[in-house]
Amino acid sequence: MAGATIKATEVRLGDRLRARSGTELTVTRIDDRFFGRPDMLAFVEDSEQQWFKMPAPRDGDVELVRRADSTD
Amino acid sequence: MIAEALTGIDGQRLDPAVLDGKAVLVVNVASKCGLTPQYEALERLQKRYADAGFTVLGVPCNQFAGQEPGTPEEIQQFCSATYGVSFPMTEKLEVNGRHQHPLYQRLTATPDADGDAGEVEWNFEKFLISPAGEVIARFRPQVEPEDDRVTRAIDSALP
Repeated sequence: MAGATIKATEVRLGDRLRARSGTELTVTRIDDRFFGRPDMLAFVEDSEQQWFKMPAPRDGDVELVRRADSTD
Repeated sequence: MIAEALTGIDGQRLDPAVLDGKAVLVVNVASKCGLTPQYEALERLQKRYADAGFTVLGVPCNQFAGQEPGTPEEIQQFCSATYGVSFPMTEKLEVNGRHQHPLYQRLTATPDADGDAGEVEWNFEKFLISPAGEVIARFRPQVEPEDDRVTRAIDSALP
């Protein structure tokens, strides 16, 4: 089921996102460019649980599972 | 040398004879990526150079946007039916991160043409290993398999 979406530029470290494949990641790094393209970002989880990378257009939306500061 | 630590996509240990003494182009692959059509050119490279002591080695990886989600059987079927892939494939591996496969620990220490080493950037990054087992070139995903830079490197690496 699709969750809430936020602007890619509003993603913060610690936010939990869901990729189109269904894989979820907790963002531990935000790469300012993807493939050298200034119009693209890449969100990375580099943790003991997984290494996973999800690019997104800078002006696009991404699916948010949980905010970093959420207590849910 | 390379094959010792690798398991094939069929779940069996990769036969060392498939790689040893050859120039090997190691490529992390994915079935649902915009770059997936690179399989066609990779297979052409395989056919062009196989008799000269070269092979492509495909490494399925699901770490990039989850674009390689299938089972080994599904990946094999896709590669065979869609692109007629004849080069060897490994099991699904992690190419980045804390559980990075030892092969990729070696590969990612190698810089690209701009001098940048480190993480694999995306699907279809290419590393060329000499017949002696030395990592001699790295090509980022946007570099097509039949780009002159790749074929020149292969030509000079052949045994």
